[in-house]
Amino acid sequence: MDADRDLLSVSLEMDLEWRYASGESMERFLLGVGAGRLEAVRCGVCGRRYLPPRPFCGVCRVRLDDWVPVADAGTLEAWTVVHLPILDGRTGEMRPSPYGMGLIRLDGADTTLNHYLDTADPSRLTIGSRVRAVWREDRRGAMDDILHFEVLS
Amino acid sequence: MNPIAVIGTGQTKHSKARLDVSQPELIREAASAALQDADIGPDDIDAVVISNMEMFEGRAFPELWAGEGAYAFGKPCVKVATGGTSGTSACIAGFHQAASGEFDTVLVVGFEKHSEGHTQTGMALVDPFWDRAVASGALGNFALSISQYMAERGVTEEHAAQVAVKARRNAANNPNAHLQMPDLTVDDVLASRMLAEPLHLLDMCPQSDGAAAIVVASEETARRRGSQAAWVRAATTRHDQPYLGDLDRRLVTMRALRDAAQAAYTRAGITDPLREFDIAEIYEPASYAELAWYEALGFCKEGEAGRLITEGVTAMDGELPVNPSGGVLSTNPVGASGVIRVAEASAQLLGRAGAHQVAGAATALATGYGVYAWSDVIVMRTEKP
Repeated sequence: MDADRDLLSVSLEMDLEWRYASGESMERFLLGVGAGRLEAVRCGVCGRRYLPPRPFCGVCRVRLDDWVPVADAGTLEAWTVVHLPILDGRTGEMRPSPYGMGLIRLDGADTTLNHYLDTADPSRLTIGSRVRAVWREDRRGAMDDILHFEVLS
Repeated sequence: MNPIAVIGTGQTKHSKARLDVSQPELIREAASAALQDADIGPDDIDAVVISNMEMFEGRAFPELWAGEGAYAFGKPCVKVATGGTSGTSACIAGFHQAASGEFDTVLVVGFEKHSEGHTQTGMALVDPFWDRAVASGALGNFALSISQYMAERGVTEEHAAQVAVKARRNAANNPNAHLQMPDLTVDDVLASRMLAEPLHLLDMCPQSDGAAAIVVASEETARRRGSQAAWVRAATTRHDQPYLGDLDRRLVTMRALRDAAQAAYTRAGITDPLREFDIAEIYEPASYAELAWYEALGFCKEGEAGRLITEGVTAMDGELPVNPSGGVLSTNPVGASGVIRVAEASAQLLGRAGAHQVAGAATALATGYGVYAWSDVIVMRTEKP
């Protein structure tokens, strides 16, 4: 090995396709999102209302099937503005920067939702602010049917 | 658990791109250094554990094709991958193998060659329905948690920058470290490019090429060899829930790290960590993380982390030197980073840490941190159990 010398190398490119099953709880949730409706699933033991919905409460180790409505407005619990483009893990395209990101506790949920924030006026981003979802017109039943959240005055 | 000890460690020179070696050659560099340090030969190794985030390099089965770099032919060889905790989890797996009595001497090797792959792609291949649609990467996720931590605990950008400076200055005394910046200042950190508010470029760990290895031995072998040994007194792991939003103000609460630390301290009889540990090698992927870990690891009361860094309590000449090696902030080949923490803690107890040796170190802490909140905590002593 010669630390001063770069070895012969090979460059590879791949274009691949994957297909993932959603699971019953994620399917129900996303069909609701496509209809402009948000739901959480509540644990019958600890009472925690989970968003995203999921088949089990990992803490209580029980199945979840008690659905409860969640508002599309809530409280901003954390925020940042990211100044680097981010790779979209679905398309391989880059999401341009800067963009706002928040943790939002929607009214009716106990977990927080990570989602994009409207950064037209970054000075309005403060922990505790009330925020509301801005929905896409042509919804497809995916998390980005919500474009981002905007701060309410 | 039968008593076990680390009797040797080895590391490569870590850097941005090790274009002079293939992945197996990189592994061999660390593995052979560890064997030499332990003064044993390849035939003395009974089992091998490999740690690597293979999604980062896009090359499957490192336990197969890279195994021979770790002398694995004809021996049990398994791969351990648990995000950032991969390296510490691999060490703990090696501890369990040696402690079981089934294997006498175990080689643990962690490696990553970020220069050969797409780290951001590996990080982006998360939940296809939820997180991929609303991604902000490791950087954005960390920044979100930091905004909560700063608001609740009064930590400032200056406190964080002091951590970044300490790490890179310590690294200047570690010939293996990737980023060595002996003249770095708080102003330099604050003036570096903003990545995700409040995280500046120099608040973050680099991506490195590198490998690290440890040799774990049974009590009999460690004693028979008559050499010094770094005895493993406790090793605990805690994993938290799967989504970022599941974790309540995670840097404030750090449930997994607190729980793992409490269990390890109870097992090892640690009641006053700041006073009882002589050195700590903790897994801090960002400057702010080190401050949050101070609180979760019980080095100080809640809200006092800023005071600890400002008063130099965790500096090389402080009461508890934290990351004399320069830490993850200076060197981060992810699959190796946890092994580096254990190797560095062990080298300190063996008195073989060179220019960054903490004189007389007898009790050491090593931690791992993975994904959002997975935590490994390892307590080691020069004193046999």
